Amino acid sequence: MKMSCLKGTTISFSCLKLAFPSYPSSFQNLPFRRTIKPLSAALQTSPATSPSTTKAEDQVARSHWKAAIDFKWIKDNKEAVAANIRNRNSDADLELVLQLYDRFFNLQKEVERVRGERNAVANKMKGKMEQSQRQRLIEEGKNLKEGLIALEEDLLKLNDKLQLEAQRIPNMTHPNVPIGGEDSSMTRKLVGSAPEFSFPVKDHLELGKELCLFDFDTAAELYVRCIYYAVSQVSGSKFYYLKNDAVLLEMALVNWTLSEVMKRGFTPLTTPELVRSSVVEKCGFQPRGNNTQVYSIEDSDQCLIGTAEIPVGGLHMDSILAETLLPLKYVAFSHCFRTEAGAAGSATRGLYRVHQFSKVEMFIFCRPEESEHYHEELIKIEEDMFSSLGLHFKTLDMASEDLGAPAYRKFDVEAWMPGLERFGEISSASNCTDYQSRRLGIRYRPSEAPVASPKSSKGNLAPPLFVHTLNATACAVPRMIICLLENYQQEDGSILIPEPLRPFMGGRSVISRKL
Amino acid sequence: MKMSCLKGTTISFSCLKLAFPSYPSSFQNLPFRRTIKPLSAALQTSPATSPSTTKAEDQVARSHWKAAIDFKWIKDNKEAVAANIRNRNSDADLELVLQLYDRFFNLQKEVERVRGERNAVANKMKGKMEQSQRQRLIEEGKNLKEGLIALEEDLLKLNDKLQLEAQRIPNMTHPNVPIGGEDSSMTRKLVGSAPEFSFPVKDHLELGKELCLFDFDTAAEVSGSKFYYLKNDAVLLEMALVNWTLSEVMKRGFTPLTTPELVRSSVVEKCGFQPRGNNTQVYSIEDSDQCLIGTAEIPVGGLHMDSILAETLLPLKYVAFSHCFRTEAGAAGSATRGLYRVHQFSKVEMFIFCRPEESEHYHEELIKIEEDMFSSLGLHFKTLDMASEDLGAPAYRKFDVEAWMPGLERFGEISSASNCTDYQSRRLGIRYRPSEAPVASPKSSKGNLAPPLFVHTLNATACAVPRMIICLLENYQQEDGSILIPEPLRPFMGGRSVISRKL
Repeated sequence: MKMSCLKGTTISFSCLKLAFPSYPSSFQNLPFRRTIKPLSAALQTSPATSPSTTKAEDQVARSHWKAAIDFKWIKDNKEAVAANIRNRNSDADLELVLQLYDRFFNLQKEVERVRGERNAVANKMKGKMEQSQRQRLIEEGKNLKEGLIALEEDLLKLNDKLQLEAQRIPNMTHPNVPIGGEDSSMTRKLVGSAPEFSFPVKDHLELGKELCLFDFDTAAELYVRCIYYAVSQVSGSKFYYLKNDAVLLEMALVNWTLSEVMKRGFTPLTTPELVRSSVVEKCGFQPRGNNTQVYSIEDSDQCLIGTAEIPVGGLHMDSILAETLLPLKYVAFSHCFRTEAGAAGSATRGLYRVHQFSKVEMFIFCRPEESEHYHEELIKIEEDMFSSLGLHFKTLDMASEDLGAPAYRKFDVEAWMPGLERFGEISSASNCTDYQSRRLGIRYRPSEAPVASPKSSKGNLAPPLFVHTLNATACAVPRMIICLLENYQQEDGSILIPEPLRPFMGGRSVISRKL
Repeated sequence: MKMSCLKGTTISFSCLKLAFPSYPSSFQNLPFRRTIKPLSAALQTSPATSPSTTKAEDQVARSHWKAAIDFKWIKDNKEAVAANIRNRNSDADLELVLQLYDRFFNLQKEVERVRGERNAVANKMKGKMEQSQRQRLIEEGKNLKEGLIALEEDLLKLNDKLQLEAQRIPNMTHPNVPIGGEDSSMTRKLVGSAPEFSFPVKDHLELGKELCLFDFDTAAEVSGSKFYYLKNDAVLLEMALVNWTLSEVMKRGFTPLTTPELVRSSVVEKCGFQPRGNNTQVYSIEDSDQCLIGTAEIPVGGLHMDSILAETLLPLKYVAFSHCFRTEAGAAGSATRGLYRVHQFSKVEMFIFCRPEESEHYHEELIKIEEDMFSSLGLHFKTLDMASEDLGAPAYRKFDVEAWMPGLERFGEISSASNCTDYQSRRLGIRYRPSEAPVASPKSSKGNLAPPLFVHTLNATACAVPRMIICLLENYQQEDGSILIPEPLRPFMGGRSVISRKL
């Protein structure tokens, strides 16, 4: 069993009982699937039981999976990394990481040295010798073995600490990304214009109420016909039922979006909505932090997904893909669940911020040199779709403090919502470069090895490289419903259905009051 | 604040700090909404934290909601209830329930008596009297008050215990339901015939593999066993099935819904499920009283909880699309390979709230809708009248449809239609007010307002997507491994008539 924590280095842990994720190096010949499971998976078959706690030490205990972080690169580029951490307002501790890395590196050398000595002793014992000499060698071997076990334990713990700290370092940032907070985000594109109304504009909640489209925990009013009731009694606040034409609208949006994106060569998927928490972490989310966005399942290591990005990223975890397969483009439909802990205020009324919603998500696995190209492709698909629905929107190049840790660059689309009297986010497209793939263990094997490469040890097999991953919202249903209701409201309270959706609503062109 | 635990009786708990669900009686004039929240909700605004444990005492502590059980009726019909419990192989303890009920009834009378005495003492104190006499009265009043508090506490605990035991009593059973285990279930209807194949038949897993339709292996790594991704044409097939089913059922006058998939565990219990039992089918959320739904029946039932509906609104017919989550604890074996038994799936569910005298009619309507849909998809299936031991606790009668699955070489359940009569509505607190009061009814105290009655609820699977996918793939497989798409679904798959191998 080999383990490589540092790119290009291998350590043999022949006495280890624990299984560790193996990081491919030129010395390994992994098949397309990982053969050695990380500790957490080795202890599980189906959902495992694990105590639910958020203590830091449990975080170390939990995070047994290892990200393939390029420590050498970080060390060689520490000023840039430090500047990036500052620009992103991240709480990663670079100095600590570098210290831990140096200690780890040196301890690793020490372990190798002691192992070498032990091997030497073992070799000596093969020959003929006097009993006393043999006895001394056995003693020496035993001491070395005990010392080695202790050192290896230290190495493991040090590696865990190193990983814990290093995983907090955010992705690097595209040079064109504006530095600063949300006010620094730059508008890349502005499409359409705000519709003008000759009558008082209503927000989506009011429109929905009149059209019997949803049920929320709103005022204590009762509409006998539409049968208003407090949904909070059933589920809690920020949950809702869609009714009547809102259901058709959701189905139309999903069906249309799926078909639009499939036309552009994306493979459709539906995904599990329960995933192991380790997968959530590997995508760059924090299932166990305070104010976490993630719902966890009791007596289990599973969580509800907040976005299909997570199970789709997991689709190729711990794999080496043939280069000819790339780019892999998926469009996934799923329900998404978010605790929205810490989010409050009037901007979160109605459908704007809810705990559960339907979403169609695009995801691309590609070669590194192509990720910027596909980022542009993804945002173009979004802009085309929102344009064809007649929305007024702007595309923003998000500033450094507003990028999630995984994103190298992020484009958000904000659409005009007349009822809210402001722009509201309807989608987000991120280029995560190799941040997620280094955690999920997703690599590809280039088709041709460079000539006389020092790394190629097996004939012409090039060493595998990490893919880049990108994700982009094709359709977040509640936000789209807000946009459509508020922008297309008519004076009589009915809603005009935009052309592209009509075939998906049985040809209808209007949502109007039920009898 | 009034509380009525027994139909027609009211108790005043003026000293209680706890809020209890109020059960309407002729003394109350509730608006359409319940004004007093059950204890569990009174302690919560958003998802509350509650410790996760499955001990029995915690079950008592948790089950603060009260089912409006008709104890008098049970007492008057105890032989029938006992026979029903036997027929259903239920572990309800009828004798214990009746004992607890008698004790409760008597204790309630005692409480009322003591309260009467205390009121009498309080009244006496209004008049003029000597200081010593007043002092004695004050003493007496104080003793009575302390005694009353103790009695009322006992009454509360007794009521909790009574409820816990009584809630285990299953619904009564339709007289035509066969008595016995699953072998006693009777076939009501048989439609179509098993297709004949001139080539070796493959099961859905094999077909799916060749057509790149699912991925179970990766899902096991990402999520655990019995999870899956649908890919390519399977996604289109799911969307087509859902879209088609929704439109078919809507044509028949059902209101479409999408529902929350996280609900409070009390709502799950009120529908007749056991979120906290051993081998529970229900996933619970950590640090919360919420659970994932196993069926849209739960949030749809909850839609009208603690309400009194105008009779003119009935029947209320809903068709709901949701994802469903089930632990499938205890289910194992080869019959659970592939899509047959999974932890997460899409389902379109029908649900009806109606007047009691109409529930049998709507049960027939629901099964007919299912049979029509499955016929139009060309499936070979049988409808079963499920035997008494196979009914869930809520169901008065249950029709299951089992469709022929050539790859599994047997019939497999694709839907279930239950008439739950008033089992769920007595727990969810769903009643309706008849439009006309009976003339000179002793119960009508407010003019001509008739007392509200419990509705009946019914639920039926319109489409359980994975089981339907199995049926379609296995029945419509062609020799070359492609799948013929049944006619009704073609418009929903962009006009395509075949699922075939990707390049």
